[in-house]
Amino acid sequence: MTTSILEAFPDAGALAGAVRRGAVRAEAVAEATLAAIERLDPTVGAFLHVAVDHALAAARRTDRIVREGSDPGPLAGVPIALKDLFVTRGIPTTAGSRILAGYVPPYDGHAASALARAGATLVGKVTLDEFGMGSNGANSPVPAPRHPTSDDHWPGGSSSGSAAAVAFGLTPLALGTDTGGSVRWPASCAGIVGLKPTYGRISRHGMIAFASSLDQAGPMGRTVRCVAHLLAVLAGRDERDATSLDAPVGDYPAACEAPVAGRTVGVVRRALDAEGVHPAVRKTVADTVRALEARGAKAITLDLPSMDLWVPTYYVLACAEAASNLARYDGMRYGRRVEGRDLAETIARTRAQGFGPEVRRRLLVGTYVLRKDNVDAYYGAAMRARAAIAAELRGALDRCDVLALPVGPQPAVRRDAGADADDPLADYLRDVFTVAANLAGLPAIAVPAGHADEGGHRLPIGVQLVGRPLGEPDLFAFAAAVEREIGAGPPPLREATP
Amino acid sequence: MTDLVPTIGLEIHCRLATRTKLFSPCPFSFGAEPNTLVDPYTLGLPGTLPVPNAAAVRLAVRLAAALGCTIHPESRFARKHYFYPDLPKGYQITQGDEPYATGGAIVFEDPHAPGTLARAPLSRIHLEEDAGKSIHDRGRDRALVDYNRAGAALVEIVTRPALDDPKRAAACFRALRAVVRTLGVSDANMQEGGLRCDANVSLAPRGAKVLGTRCEIKNVNSFRFLEAAIRAEIRRQRDLLARGEPVVQATVGYDEDRDRVFVMRTKETAADYRYLPDPDLPPLSIPDDWIDRARRACGELPAARAVRLAAAGVPADLARKVSEDPALARLFEQVVAEGVDESLAAKWIAGEVGSLLARRAGPPAGGAAFAARLATVLGWVASGRRPAAVVRRVLARMVERDEDPERIVADEGLEGAGADVIAAVAARLVAEHPDQAAAFRGGNTKILGWFMGRAMRALRGSDPATVRATLERALRGEEDTP
Repeated sequence: MTTSILEAFPDAGALAGAVRRGAVRAEAVAEATLAAIERLDPTVGAFLHVAVDHALAAARRTDRIVREGSDPGPLAGVPIALKDLFVTRGIPTTAGSRILAGYVPPYDGHAASALARAGATLVGKVTLDEFGMGSNGANSPVPAPRHPTSDDHWPGGSSSGSAAAVAFGLTPLALGTDTGGSVRWPASCAGIVGLKPTYGRISRHGMIAFASSLDQAGPMGRTVRCVAHLLAVLAGRDERDATSLDAPVGDYPAACEAPVAGRTVGVVRRALDAEGVHPAVRKTVADTVRALEARGAKAITLDLPSMDLWVPTYYVLACAEAASNLARYDGMRYGRRVEGRDLAETIARTRAQGFGPEVRRRLLVGTYVLRKDNVDAYYGAAMRARAAIAAELRGALDRCDVLALPVGPQPAVRRDAGADADDPLADYLRDVFTVAANLAGLPAIAVPAGHADEGGHRLPIGVQLVGRPLGEPDLFAFAAAVEREIGAGPPPLREATP
Repeated sequence: MTDLVPTIGLEIHCRLATRTKLFSPCPFSFGAEPNTLVDPYTLGLPGTLPVPNAAAVRLAVRLAAALGCTIHPESRFARKHYFYPDLPKGYQITQGDEPYATGGAIVFEDPHAPGTLARAPLSRIHLEEDAGKSIHDRGRDRALVDYNRAGAALVEIVTRPALDDPKRAAACFRALRAVVRTLGVSDANMQEGGLRCDANVSLAPRGAKVLGTRCEIKNVNSFRFLEAAIRAEIRRQRDLLARGEPVVQATVGYDEDRDRVFVMRTKETAADYRYLPDPDLPPLSIPDDWIDRARRACGELPAARAVRLAAAGVPADLARKVSEDPALARLFEQVVAEGVDESLAAKWIAGEVGSLLARRAGPPAGGAAFAARLATVLGWVASGRRPAAVVRRVLARMVERDEDPERIVADEGLEGAGADVIAAVAARLVAEHPDQAAAFRGGNTKILGWFMGRAMRALRGSDPATVRATLERALRGEEDTP
């Protein structure tokens, strides 16, 4: 049923239009979606919590507004799944962590309330790497979701459940978060579209923090247009987030139609020549450039010499901010608590047992780099490097409208290669091409543009386009051009088999 | 033993008089039921973010302008980390390397040289949020936390280690309280924790270039105890050094009952707060016109006024009283502007009027109308037009009911009698009581009091001195010529 809805309305905007016209009832869409989740999710493993009552109530409200002749909002009746870092009033919100087991927030964050205003139907909360820390989906108390085309590969993370929900057609839209690539990388692995907006474009209010200066909510969907529709209802200034930008929100769906002829894409030579870049990844970037040139865009080659600093800079800063942001989980006010003999032991046990190994590792690193004796050598140095990286990227974007980069150096990671916990450094290094946009606060999109054939599996590969600050319309224009010209698209919808 | 001199620095926390907290629209007031003034941000719930309170920033700017600080158009908030149940986020948002204000000074009247001003130079003032309050329920071996206070807006005023004497330290602290009250920056109520002081104390040989090891006295909440605690700490350090033992850097508390300090923790156990610029908060921008306006708006500060009045002849203690309390200071200014002599105004406002106002229930009397009435009454005093008893009676009712003094006089029949009426009454009393009059003339002067009592009953509101003089003349049989 969901499959048929998606086939009838591949564009979320078109589905909303049908609901707004009264041609399709939001409740019917919600019921079909819930039924599909019930049937398929046991084998997909995307959902941590399916909010059945909430979804049906939201859909009925939308239908009532339509019947009354009022405006139900631009995403009327469109089902959506939220990564479990988004705070939802009355619906469990766990950050994928044992430390928040059973936690039910008393308030709605920006995403939940903006989506409700837009008429969307929130159907549930999807899985992730704990607190967004990980790139395979494996750092979680629950098994990682399936990869849409291969049971031998990880789905990619940390927005693993968001990518799986969209790739398997459980929901047309999902919202992830991206601190260092956590939307773009699973989108690339799953063959869908994922956007990391300009820092401050979407309010972080009610988004559980991993690294505040890098975190952004990221829309995910099967098409560039779907992602544009979702960004349109989430973007804008929010007085509750002092870092949110006070800049006009563009007509993002219209931007998907803008021509790229005469505009410029910058190809980062160093990224393609780097050691360990898979040939299929190189080909994907090359095909992207050719496709854009076929549509009249110009390609230039440029260099970003700071690339070697990207990963170390990112991990120092992300871990430092994480150590600070996660200090509040002490078992005193909410979430899990493990009693000890005294206060210090209660806090220590709560955190030792509540956090998984990768989170603990990053908190230790973050605590270490902020120590009085270390802060300048690590945190201070990383802040200086960050400024240099941002200046370099912005400088490069003076010469072109978008940069083309791989999303990851390789296709999706084989499950038997082990998870983050086994070889964290290898996983950290896979973030090399995505972290730069977060460090510089720039918008970046992953759009399907190629594939690799590995062990009989056709693994999707996305290309990454990085834009200027608030350059989301440029990204939509270029990504939509790639989408049309290459037509890699998401994997065909299929009934998941156990 | 060489001559050891103390060096003292103060760190003063002052709660800003804002309706809501520093980073959330959650209201704060003292004395509410525990955990009723909380919101998701106050409790550190996941996903909450700080949003700076512009009203708090304005008050902080006003204070810094009045203390002559350099106010930085751009400053930063930082996170200070430690684990404690009353700290909901595991960090306190404060300002680290980049506070909004540096320099400036607290100017205070030197207790050792009344009538002259001394300065305690400041190193900085910064904005920060308060923590909640832990309540240790020892009987049941548990602690309870009240988060009402968590997130309340504070400024911390840090002096340089530049004070040399406990009395001056206390005077400096007192002067700061007068400043924040005068500016309306804080109610500075020490019983409610609205003003708290830590003192750093070290000893070094006179003339030494390097300061001695310092100890910090935590959370003193009265002027008297601050002075006593510093004295006790100086004693403790002197004793240690006299025994040849080193002073170990420590945080100490003051035991009021035993007049002693006790070591709470030494530097070895001190935390590393792992300061981090707060990534949730962009740099704090203070608009130039806020700074300009605050600088233009600051009038004369209490200490300067007290010294100026003293120089003009007002007794020093009265001058201080009508300068420190902002309501009395305002009244004093208004009354003086109405033409009342400064010493007379200070005497009555620091005395009778001040205590009447303090006792008054309901909203405080004040304003220009009250000041004008008070000026009228003090005019009577200056000219001797009405006796002190009438003045006191009128003031009491004026404070209580906001009435016009002339009306009170008319209403209560306090107008008093003219000289001819007084003379007539005196003559009548002498005539009616010849035996007593004879006794007076015979040398029993005590009997004058007996005549006074009767005369005053008949002459309500009249000046007793005039009545007494008239009676004396009548008793001696002198002719009274009005």
